Amino acid sequence: MPPMTTELVSSRYAVDDLAAAIDLCFEKGWTDGLPVVPPTEARVRAMLDAAELAPDKEIGFITNRQVAVTAEKVAINAVMAGCKPEYMPVVVAAVEGVADPRWSYHGPATSTGGAGVLMIVNGPIARRLDFNSGDNLFGPGWRANATVGRALRLVMRNVIGTLPGRLDRGTLGHPGKYTYTIAENEVDSPWPALHVERGFRADQSTVTVMAAESPHQFYNQLSSTAAGILTTLCDDMRISGNVMGQPNYVVVIAGEHMRTIAADGWSKADIRKHVFEHTQNSLAHLKRTGRLAGAVTAADETTLRPMLASPEDILVVAAGGRAGSFSAYIPGWASRRTSEAVTKLIKERSA
Amino acid sequence: MPPLEILDPTVEARKQPLTFVARPDSLKGKRIGLVENTKYNSDRLLLKIGDILKQEYGAAETRMWRKHNAGVPAHAEILEEAKRGVDVVVAGIGD
Repeated sequence: MPPMTTELVSSRYAVDDLAAAIDLCFEKGWTDGLPVVPPTEARVRAMLDAAELAPDKEIGFITNRQVAVTAEKVAINAVMAGCKPEYMPVVVAAVEGVADPRWSYHGPATSTGGAGVLMIVNGPIARRLDFNSGDNLFGPGWRANATVGRALRLVMRNVIGTLPGRLDRGTLGHPGKYTYTIAENEVDSPWPALHVERGFRADQSTVTVMAAESPHQFYNQLSSTAAGILTTLCDDMRISGNVMGQPNYVVVIAGEHMRTIAADGWSKADIRKHVFEHTQNSLAHLKRTGRLAGAVTAADETTLRPMLASPEDILVVAAGGRAGSFSAYIPGWASRRTSEAVTKLIKERSA
Repeated sequence: MPPLEILDPTVEARKQPLTFVARPDSLKGKRIGLVENTKYNSDRLLLKIGDILKQEYGAAETRMWRKHNAGVPAHAEILEEAKRGVDVVVAGIGD
């Protein structure tokens, strides 16, 4: 095995103190608008060591940009985002995810559609690093969620050139473009975890990346059945995102709804099937509401168009607070054959 | 206390040479390829352009291909068929 390269090749800037370093990062255009942790060599090396990565290791290659994303650049941006060194393997897996041809970087990163990168962390690492899977799921307050998602966005900005107004042309964007990371509540969930459904072992840890709109929550405090709760979900979801057909949706089932649905004996597959069948729109409706071109024909009234190619394209995640009759759905970005959710193994440091 | 040193988080894109094929002096008798990016109306726009190239510039024929989606380059099948079957290609972002 060849010796590991240890040299850091990035340009260096000398500043007088931490405050000046933070200001320099703003002046250079290296931040998301919030202050960053200055990336000193010691901090960057700690990040690389935690993932046992040589600085020149290529984590991903973005074909459309002709950019190789090295471990050194990922580590620098992870430091800036405020990550602890032990978060680095999660950030690395997320970068591998968006560099995967199935995620198809150029479209979701650049599009006027303004997608963020939803990251779903599964497996033991989520508990060990204290990723939030409960109260205030999409909100602030957890360092792991906040900084890992932010690190990926800083890599996209600083390494891959995804700069708002330039190669990020989102018309509106959304707050999830700062950071957008959740974990599944595998402890309380009555169902197999997302990563197990996607072919990994329960004792492995993964991150799933999906080009995604913001989360949309729905409310149902009245139903005591699975079908009742999901009827509300489907009514909300039927007209959302690109109703003409998308690659993926995430459905997040939170505590109260999770217990009601599970008590009815419904599996994640049952949820997917129900949602797939009850979110279809008639061609007539799509034409009347300006989503599909052409005049309405008699047949259009009874011809249904599903939102997804298959029920398997719905990712069901158990997460969110224990209290409250709310759950959520998250539309994926764009349309079929554009960008699909990708799950990557988190390669943890050997003991 | 020595000055603090921080590392640059950015990277330059890899430089790659691009070679352009010489443009034809005239489109007269040329076969025109149209690469459509799947966006609404992009096919109609390209067909219109193709008609103009035939009627006003003497192009012989047009042929259109559809990409998998707007976010990816034209796939291999399009490139291979275009190499064999047309002299000039028109591509663009219809949106």
